[in-house]
Amino acid sequence: MDKYKNNIKISLTILIIMFFLLAGYMGYALFFYGDRWFSSPYNTRVRMSGAQPQIIAGDILDRKNTVLATTKNGNYTDPKTGEAKQGYYREYNSKCRYASHVVGFHNEYGRAGAEAFHIKYLMGYNNNIFERIYQKAFLSQERGNDIMLTIDIQLQQYISELLGNRKGSVVLLNPKTGEILAMVSKPSFDPNNVSNVDGDTLIDRSIQGLYPPGSILKVVTAASALEHIEDIDSWTYNCTGSLDIDGKKISCYDGKAHEEVDLASAMIYSCNGAFAQLGNQIGWKELLETGKKFGFNKNFLFSDIMVYDSSLNIDKTTSKEELGWTAIGQAETLVTPFHMAMVAAAVANDGVIMEPKLLYSVVGRNGRAQKSVEPKVFSEAMTKESARVIKEMMVRVVSEGTGRSANVGGVSIGGKTGTAEVKSTKESQTLPHAWFIGFAPTEDPTLAIAVVVENSGTGGRVAAPIAGKVLRRAHELGY
Amino acid sequence: MLTIGEEFLGYFKGKGSELMRDRQYEIFALTLRYWYVFLIGYIFFQCLKSTLHGKRNKEFKRQGGGNVAFVIVLLIFSALGLLSIRETTTIDLDIVVLAVLAATIFLFQYILLRFVFKGLDCFLLLIVDVLFVMGLIMLQRLSPSQAMSQVQWFGMGCIALVASMIVTTLVKGGRRFLYLLMVIGIFLLILPLAFGDIIGGAKNWVSISLFGKEVGFQPSEFVKLILVFVFAIEFSQERTFKERLPVFIFTALCMLILVLSRDLGGALLFFGLFLFIYPIATSDILLTAGAAGAGTAAAILSYYLFSHVKVRVEAWKNPWANIEDRGYQIAHALIAIGSGGFVGAGLGLGIPYIIPASKTDLIFAAICEEMGILVGLMIIGFYAIIAIRGAIIAMNTENRLDALLAMGATVSLSLQSFVIIGGVIKLIPLTGVTMPFVSYGGSSMVVSFAMIGIIEGVAVKTYRASLDDEAEDVKEENAEYEGEDE
Repeated sequence: MDKYKNNIKISLTILIIMFFLLAGYMGYALFFYGDRWFSSPYNTRVRMSGAQPQIIAGDILDRKNTVLATTKNGNYTDPKTGEAKQGYYREYNSKCRYASHVVGFHNEYGRAGAEAFHIKYLMGYNNNIFERIYQKAFLSQERGNDIMLTIDIQLQQYISELLGNRKGSVVLLNPKTGEILAMVSKPSFDPNNVSNVDGDTLIDRSIQGLYPPGSILKVVTAASALEHIEDIDSWTYNCTGSLDIDGKKISCYDGKAHEEVDLASAMIYSCNGAFAQLGNQIGWKELLETGKKFGFNKNFLFSDIMVYDSSLNIDKTTSKEELGWTAIGQAETLVTPFHMAMVAAAVANDGVIMEPKLLYSVVGRNGRAQKSVEPKVFSEAMTKESARVIKEMMVRVVSEGTGRSANVGGVSIGGKTGTAEVKSTKESQTLPHAWFIGFAPTEDPTLAIAVVVENSGTGGRVAAPIAGKVLRRAHELGY
Repeated sequence: MLTIGEEFLGYFKGKGSELMRDRQYEIFALTLRYWYVFLIGYIFFQCLKSTLHGKRNKEFKRQGGGNVAFVIVLLIFSALGLLSIRETTTIDLDIVVLAVLAATIFLFQYILLRFVFKGLDCFLLLIVDVLFVMGLIMLQRLSPSQAMSQVQWFGMGCIALVASMIVTTLVKGGRRFLYLLMVIGIFLLILPLAFGDIIGGAKNWVSISLFGKEVGFQPSEFVKLILVFVFAIEFSQERTFKERLPVFIFTALCMLILVLSRDLGGALLFFGLFLFIYPIATSDILLTAGAAGAGTAAAILSYYLFSHVKVRVEAWKNPWANIEDRGYQIAHALIAIGSGGFVGAGLGLGIPYIIPASKTDLIFAAICEEMGILVGLMIIGFYAIIAIRGAIIAMNTENRLDALLAMGATVSLSLQSFVIIGGVIKLIPLTGVTMPFVSYGGSSMVVSFAMIGIIEGVAVKTYRASLDDEAEDVKEENAEYEGEDE
């Protein structure tokens, strides 16, 4: 009968747990997402507006000190309404159209790109209390900090011109530090004039474009095979041009029979049958485990850039056929070019993926540096040994396999081509997306690249030459 | 240095004097935010210390409030004082009057109650007062005219507090009133369905003419009080399931009416209250689990049946996907919380007024923006301390009815604060309930204070009973002594 006192104790414990949950969740959410909430384009608190804004935004520079965006005071036209206005506005370097998605814009329409994501620094919200009081007390106009990005506008321009009018994206990283050297998405726009830009152009394909990866995913499958199949060195597969799984056919490109292949030659000639077979031999669990190490199905919470999540949709209900398709990068797998550049970087950097960095440094008033880039490990995707083996294979892909056209001279390259089939509509037969991921120079890679060109043909014919030229140019520039 | 000097002098020459005033205010606000966090932190740790200490000793009877009351007055004056120089070059006397009024009512309430009711739990009273003060500061910043009426509601709340304390100390058994209470409860709930106004998507408001003034009130808030009493009266006695059926039906009916009037938060609170109080009184795990299962099933069913439930859940899952429309409220609340930082943007320096419902349901986000995450976390802590003290008061009493009354009020307040704060920070779907003691609103203020009145009433009753026991002991000792003497 009088158990109620004990029951009260239990209830109190439940209530206390509930309050701890509240406080804990609040702390967790703010720690991981607080800055993202703050930098949301919908946050009108930090908008620089009108003739007398409280704070004006600082400059955006590239890594060689080229001013990409700056704040000006004067007459300008409101891009939204078209009327002439007087006051502070953002002005962009004419070269900014080569980096329109990276830099973004900040005007009456809203914010995008680094202008949105790094608004905390640009508007000086990271300044300490003394700096803020000093600015309020002694300066006629408060000003935020300058940010220096890791991109090189020269490279951006070269890549943009190389891509021309084709839709697609190129991402170039330094695999050792994670610095983003170039990130181009086409079609692009001029940030000074965004009034007539359509929604498709505004999409940053490098971080928001989700594509089927095609054969470049074989790098991940190979990594998984190297770590999960014990006698992988003696593993062979007899390719007859197509593989039957449960009565369904997975065929090689153009139905070509590669005959007897081992892992290396399957990679070099991009044999679909071999990798589909391999995928089933590895099993969904192990493949998924490797995928997660590479960053699939993960929430990318990078501090410098917002990248859409890649998905590798396999679980225990996946059929053998589907698993085979997944292993060669078709099925429901979707990736961003940025993530694929990280996969290339993993191979180049002994299996370790560094956290990507877009922010080179934050420079405060009087040129005082407030924050500089510190390399940080994102994930250890595979062992050093597996990375070495895959690296050798990728070098041979370029020297003798499907990626021969990446060999443009100037620098030694390793890579993997991909040709991602897309569903054709009845009206038109669409070409596949051309992919290439790679690294250079092969001895000690300092560059990792991912190239995708939408609906353009095979990776070897379209994407590989672009990657080769970009890597050569970057090498010439000393990266 | 020269340029700095010239610019500095420029201000005093009248060039842009408005700018200078704005900046002076900004510097004040930026600096003073540390002071507010310090004051609230001081109050918080005093309350926490006394609570943990009291838990060991199992009683709060003889604890005084220490200097916490003084610190609360300091908080009122320093915060409202800052706000009083925000708009004009001179001091805005309206705000000073408001501060004096709020401080006076607070001190009057606190000192008088301590004097009249011996055995009162001082810290419980101080906590709800500091919560009210934080809400008041935010309201003054958001909408000065409503801050004035909030102080009026605070006065009304104090009266409700005393009234419910007196009622609680007088209640013994109370079976006679059970059916009357239930009828009143149903009547109050049907009232807004019959001729209510729709505010914030839920049809739970009724306007009545009082003293020639239109006053809107939320009957479902008052039904919460009735529910606490009904549960305590019913479950404090041993009865069979059949005999308890009327109360079960009453509870189910209340929830049904609330769901029909789209007041999902209210329905959730009623259900939660039942799920806590029933097992406490009867240890009947089976029926509780059954009710919880049925409730969950009903919730899932309502997700598929009612579009407004679906909308809420989808906005909770991903508020950013539909930010212009469904996710608007929660996304803006999150942006506001993320914009504050640890000590906040500074009073008057953020723009919390763009948060929807920033004065009522989402005031937590507004407080987090301008006063900081630390204050937000301490608010959660304050509610937790209310729960701890309420539960200990319930455990200290030997009377089942009193224990259930105190626990009912405690659970009701705790659940309500959990539901709204959890909704604002996206832990659970957002449902429209007010934040006790903080949100603007008469019904919420009066009912929340009445709830505290119930807990305090039980504390006073227990204290009196213990005095009687002591008196009897003394009498017995005296009798023995006299006996020996003879």
